[in-house]
Amino acid sequence: MLAYGYYAYRHSELQKYMELVLSLAAAIFVAQMLNWPIPGGTSLHMVGGALAAILVGPFNAFFVLLLVLLVQALVFHDGGITTLGANVINMGVIAPLVGYAAYKALRPRVGVFWSAFVAGWASITVAGTAAGLEIGLSPWFPYGWTISVPAMAGWHALLGLVEGAITGFVVLYLSKRAPEYVRL
Amino acid sequence: MTRRFLALLIALALISPIFGVWLANLINYHEPLDVAADLINQAANRTILNDTRYQMNWTPFIDYTVPGLPDWAGYIVSAFIGLAIYLVLYMALVGRRGRVKRTS
Repeated sequence: MLAYGYYAYRHSELQKYMELVLSLAAAIFVAQMLNWPIPGGTSLHMVGGALAAILVGPFNAFFVLLLVLLVQALVFHDGGITTLGANVINMGVIAPLVGYAAYKALRPRVGVFWSAFVAGWASITVAGTAAGLEIGLSPWFPYGWTISVPAMAGWHALLGLVEGAITGFVVLYLSKRAPEYVRL
Repeated sequence: MTRRFLALLIALALISPIFGVWLANLINYHEPLDVAADLINQAANRTILNDTRYQMNWTPFIDYTVPGLPDWAGYIVSAFIGLAIYLVLYMALVGRRGRVKRTS
């Protein structure tokens, strides 16, 4: 993760994008506080990895999500220090890279909204699957990854539809009203 | 940061307890991994996974609460604490230079 952070830093043009990176971190932080509860005792909220990647590129997005996760863990104990590494890999590395790749691959063929929609959906599904793999491989988790991966992948494929819709609307709105904020 | 963007952030912070507190209580929300840990302990009939979050807690604002405030107010204050951190970073790191000029 540190190596990726260094690599991302070298490729991020952080100085140039600092304003957007911090603005996005603030926006994604409050957006993540809006949990939409799902009957059955769980809830979903936006992650924003694909959105950040589309707006500032996957390497700047790493720092956006890193800032969000750091404040959540350090100030509000939402996710511990020991899980920070896994959270950063799932939401700061995997989600933006998947979202970026999906958006870039689709954009020449379909419209802005659907490219961003699929990017948001794919970022959540793949990141959730990765989290399932990490939980399943943990020695503390008595069921293996054969249980945790399908469960996490299935749920996140559903939850990803909401992420996709939000990502799609935000990117569409910004590309119409303020295209200078959309890097891709 | 434009004025409209800041207004959006503040609006989101103000409505956040509707989702994060009120609706969450309505459906009796628990962290999915906490639920999984409880089920694991139940199935094994002994404590395998122990919740140590409160023993090793380091922050007064755990789970977006503020001591002495009702949950909904603590949630709003927490949102503003978080936003304030980013705003301070913003002022320190961006300040006047390097702003993206709006062309439209």
